[in-house]
Parts: sequence; structure tokens; C-alpha cells
Amino acid sequence: MSAAGATPSAKAARAPGEKRAAGAKETTARGLALTLFALLALAGLSLALRYAHLGAFGVPVALVIAGAKAVLVAVFFMEILVERVTVRLAMGTGIVLLGILLALIAADILTREPAPLTNPPGTEMRDRG
Amino acid sequence: MSVRAAAHFEDIERQEQAARLGMWVFLASEILFFAGLFALYFAYRSEHPRGFDLGIARNTIAWGSVNTAVLLVSSYTVALAVHELRRGKPVAAAWLVGVTVALGLCFLCVKTGEYLEHFREGIYPAGAGAFFAENDEPGIKMFFTLYFCMTGLHAIHVIVGMGVLVALLVRVLRGSIVPAASYPLAVGAVYWHLVDVIWIFLWPLFYLTPGGLQ
Repeated sequence: MSAAGATPSAKAARAPGEKRAAGAKETTARGLALTLFALLALAGLSLALRYAHLGAFGVPVALVIAGAKAVLVAVFFMEILVERVTVRLAMGTGIVLLGILLALIAADILTREPAPLTNPPGTEMRDRG
Repeated sequence: MSVRAAAHFEDIERQEQAARLGMWVFLASEILFFAGLFALYFAYRSEHPRGFDLGIARNTIAWGSVNTAVLLVSSYTVALAVHELRRGKPVAAAWLVGVTVALGLCFLCVKTGEYLEHFREGIYPAGAGAFFAENDEPGIKMFFTLYFCMTGLHAIHVIVGMGVLVALLVRVLRGSIVPAASYPLAVGAVYWHLVDVIWIFLWPLFYLTPGGLQ
């Protein structure tokens, strides 16, 4: 149960932040700087791989790097791990629904014959290939 | 330095928790909002790899990369602002929020320059313009429609985020957001970070990856 303090001191008011999740801490100034450095390094890697002609692997590799950057931002800038379980549950639900959406659409696109989107509205009729 | 909770909250801690949960639920809905467009991107791209390759080649890698760096640094400055406010330094926090807003404006200027360049080349939203009469590859209209849709919606989010940050900046300067209860700035910053995360995915898909998927 929470204490009945509607006018907490500066120190007492910071306590809720620390209580929010056991183990996880708010990011330090050094941690923030290191995160920025890592993000810029990953962006540089993504840019360099643009010229490496990865072919069919180009998109998956770029998305894996983007995913790593998103995790860095979520953990160290947004401090998601410091949040309570209700907050993490809300965000987790969003991510799971995103996965279901992409997986089912991928299943449709990759398996349906004839391909569903070959000639969407607004494009001329053309043969595939 | 008293911090009072609104009348309908038992204490400031509950009020903070409600604000945080509300923002994160909103962010989850934002992810699903953009998810539909990303799904459409992958679906069309898998059917029209050549049109998407041609479209990506029309975008300027340098401008997209500059904007990526600008948004990454702006995420850092707003995270540092929250950190400084927690340490009891509202003036430093206000400066850092100001720098973040300036970086957001810089992003929008570059984006506007890119749009104007496309318009000069005859590339308009919804497949309108002289460019598409000369390039009748079917996927290229879809590419640029998705490009304008997704980067345009993202730019609207940047504008909204800047508005939120300016409002928070004013409140920090007026002393209505104090170190003892810094969460309004933290919650606003979390929104700005999501805008950054969306761009992290838009950048490779619209600038960096010709020749992928099939």
C-alpha cells in the first residue's frame, strides 16, 4: 500500500521510479552517451552494408540492425524495463499483435496462387515476370 | 516544493502511473497504426521488387542518413533532459528540450527539401506526375504512394512531438514540472523516442535496400 503523502519531498518522489521494477535502473548520463554512440555506430554499419551488395539478404540484415537499434532506444532511452508490469504488458500486446499481422500477411502473400497483389487498382494489367 | 496530485488520484505516485500507462497504451496503438502500412509495404514489395528498387534509387541516401543521425541525436538530448531534471537541474533540462525541438525542425527542413525535389522531378503522391508517364513499371507508383504516406505520417508525428515538447518546455521554465515529479517530461520524451524508432525502420526501407526480397 502506498504512503498517504500528497506532498512528498524530492527524494521521496523519486522513490516510485526506483520501485517501479526490481533490478532495472534508470539510465545514467554515461549510459545515455554510450547508447547514442552504439546507435550511431549501428546506423553507420547499416549505411556501409548498403554498398556491400548483399542481394536478397539486404532487407533482412537491414531490418535486424534496425530492430537492434529499436531495442536500444526502448531499453536505455525509454527505460521500458524500469516500467511496471502493466506498462510492459500493454507494449508487449502491441508487439505480439504486430507479429500476428505480419505473419498472416506473409503467409497469404507467399502461398496464394495466383498472387493476390500482382495487379492492384491503379496499375495497368501486365503479365508477371 | 510541493507536488499535489489531482483530486481524483489518491497520491502523486498513482497519478504518475496512470500517465505512464496511458502513454504506453497509446504508443502500442501507434505501432499497430504504422504496422498496417509496413505490412502493405512488404506485401507490395514482394510482388513488385523491380518497381521498389527503382523507387529506392530515386531517393537521396545522404539526406535520409543525415535525418537518421539528427533524430538519433534528438532522442539522446531529450533523454538527457529527463536525466537532468531528475537531478534537479531544470534549466539544463529546458535547454536540452530546446535543442531537441531544434533538431526536429532540422529534420522537417530536410524532409521538405526532399519532397520539393521529388515534385520537381514530377513525382507526386498517388502516382500523379510526369515521372510516372515515363516510368510505367507498375510497382513504382505503389512505392512512391507508400513513401509519401509513411514519411508524411511520420512527419506529422514529428510536428506533434515538437508541439508536445514545446508545451513541456514552457511548463519546466514556469516551474510547474519540478524535479520532485518529473514524469510529465519523461512521458513526453517517450513519445518522441517512438517517433525516432519509426524512422529507424523507415530509413533502410526507403533509402538503403535496393535489390532485396526475391
